[in-house]
Amino acid sequence: MTSRKPIIYVIDDDVSIGRALSLLLKAHDFTVETFTRPADFLAFKHPKTTCCLILDLRLPQMNGLVLQETMASQGLTIPIIFISGHGNIPKSVKAMKGGAVDFLPKPFTDKELLDAIDRAITKNKMQNKEQSEIAKIKRRIKTLSPRELEVFRLVASGMLSKQIAYKRGTALQTIKVHRARVMKKMQAKTVTELIHFAQKAGLISSK
Amino acid sequence: MKKSKKSSSVSGQKKAKKSVSEKGNLNVERSRLKRQVSDLGKNRNHLRDTVHQQADELKIKNGQIKKWADKERLAEEQIYIRTKAMDSTADGIFIIDAQKKDFPIIYYNQSFQTMTGYAKKDILGRNYFLLYGADADPRIAKEIKNTLRQEKSFYGEMLNFRKNGEKYWNYLRIAPVRDASGVVTHYVGIQTDVTLMRQRDFEIKEQREELLHVTRVGKLSEFVSSLAHEISQPLTAILSYAQAAQRILAGPPTEQAERELQLQEILQYIVNDDQRASEVIRRLRALLKKSDPEFISIDMNALISETVVLMTTDVTVRNKVIKTELHSKLPIIRGDRIQLQQVLLNLISNSLDAMESNDESRELVIRAFRKGPKTIMVEVKDSGCGIPAQNMKKLFKHFFTSKPDGLGMGLSISRSIIEAHGGQLEAKNNPDGGATFYFTLPVVLSKSKGKRIPNDQS
Repeated sequence: MTSRKPIIYVIDDDVSIGRALSLLLKAHDFTVETFTRPADFLAFKHPKTTCCLILDLRLPQMNGLVLQETMASQGLTIPIIFISGHGNIPKSVKAMKGGAVDFLPKPFTDKELLDAIDRAITKNKMQNKEQSEIAKIKRRIKTLSPRELEVFRLVASGMLSKQIAYKRGTALQTIKVHRARVMKKMQAKTVTELIHFAQKAGLISSK
Repeated sequence: MKKSKKSSSVSGQKKAKKSVSEKGNLNVERSRLKRQVSDLGKNRNHLRDTVHQQADELKIKNGQIKKWADKERLAEEQIYIRTKAMDSTADGIFIIDAQKKDFPIIYYNQSFQTMTGYAKKDILGRNYFLLYGADADPRIAKEIKNTLRQEKSFYGEMLNFRKNGEKYWNYLRIAPVRDASGVVTHYVGIQTDVTLMRQRDFEIKEQREELLHVTRVGKLSEFVSSLAHEISQPLTAILSYAQAAQRILAGPPTEQAERELQLQEILQYIVNDDQRASEVIRRLRALLKKSDPEFISIDMNALISETVVLMTTDVTVRNKVIKTELHSKLPIIRGDRIQLQQVLLNLISNSLDAMESNDESRELVIRAFRKGPKTIMVEVKDSGCGIPAQNMKKLFKHFFTSKPDGLGMGLSISRSIIEAHGGQLEAKNNPDGGATFYFTLPVVLSKSKGKRIPNDQS
């Protein structure tokens, strides 16, 4: 998956800017996809590759911030680098709060852009890693029996085996067996790691 | 009596004879004296009456004299007050003797002297033209002379010079003074120094020009963000093209021919975008230019199209659309390009503001057509919020605005521009929502009418 070249998406209604960025980024060995309208970008079938999005803040029909919200609601987690010809501070603040990696006022140099892309791709890689890890944990949880899942929850919430046995009215030995199976199926080496998995899978709150 | 009794007893008969004749003499004497006394009394009475009479007469005469004196004093007082009043006014007043050759000045007031700066000996008996300075407009002096020769009144403004050469604007009125038989004996002249007023007029005119410039620049600042965008777009592209080219040159060697082709292509893109930026700057300069109004032949259709292009970014960003319906055989008009463009920019930007809050209303229509044989009309029709009835009347007034950050100058200035061009600017609400601003312009402008804009309010 990660062996492929990262894809850089560019959305700008100015054709010349799209073309210029495409030429520049291709010269830097990226795969580039340019769009003039956000709708086209949303309709595009995104391959599962490391990627980031260079997005013009002001666009006809749908401005960059609206697209940012739309992507979030559609679960499209792609780091966004906003570019804008207007040094609009309130909007840039809003964009950063919405999870933008960077905000580049036009015109910007290749270094500024490449640095931003670097940060965006690192972030995307982490996002992807995180997502694949969560997916892995969720897959493991699915292998647990209902009784094992319950023991997993109780252990993750910090209860000792004795407490669980007392609460369940079950023999301590039985709980210990379940617990060992949970550890094995979840591939957790320590209880701490198990609790960590439970947090990531959203079984317990991370607080 | 006692004495006469005693003498009679002493002298007897003889004495008696003698005493009879003496007695008669005494009686005569007595009656004479009596008469004299009575005459004296009469005389005294007469004298007394005469004295009384004369005293009365004197009294009357005295009263008359007193009255005359009063009258004279009153007259003197009046003359004094009139002279004082004449000297107190800031207007210069002078009287000319019309029956002497050369029309000499025989009276002048204090202000006249102050205004002209001449001494008494220079004024009295001198011809008043001499006092206006050698550089005063000879045509006006001649006009005054001719008017007076015809025994008519003159009034007019002229540039005069004080004795020390200082200039002042003189608003001069001269009127004939006739005697009982109707003969012109004198002329009375009043002159006012209107230099300050003239200066104020000039300053007001200057301020207007300044204000026009300010609002134009103010309008510009509204466009500044979109203009900055327009400039930064090509700059961004150029930078990226150039750095892409650098990268290609520095990168792994591809085939020579292919690389050259690629670089040539990039260079062409750079040239294109550079021209794009230059065009924006050229338009910016045209807008910023502060110049005297200049009347030239204008193709209104072309001006509208160019203005719409100028607004494109703003319109796109606001997610609106401008439609134009321009009549193809629109006659050429005469006017000031920048001013008319300012009116258009103003109306378009107002319309965009009116449609701002409503995403449903997107369309702005600009129409240009022939209204009559000598008139064209331009309409800017929006589908915005319309004009509330209570604002309709105030719409074109200075400093009236319905926008939170508006100056309230746009429409009033637009109207004065259109009126100075001999047209009219009006507004109305559309039956189907939104408002329409429309103005007329005359097809043929006579030269005299449109020489100076917008100050020919005469």
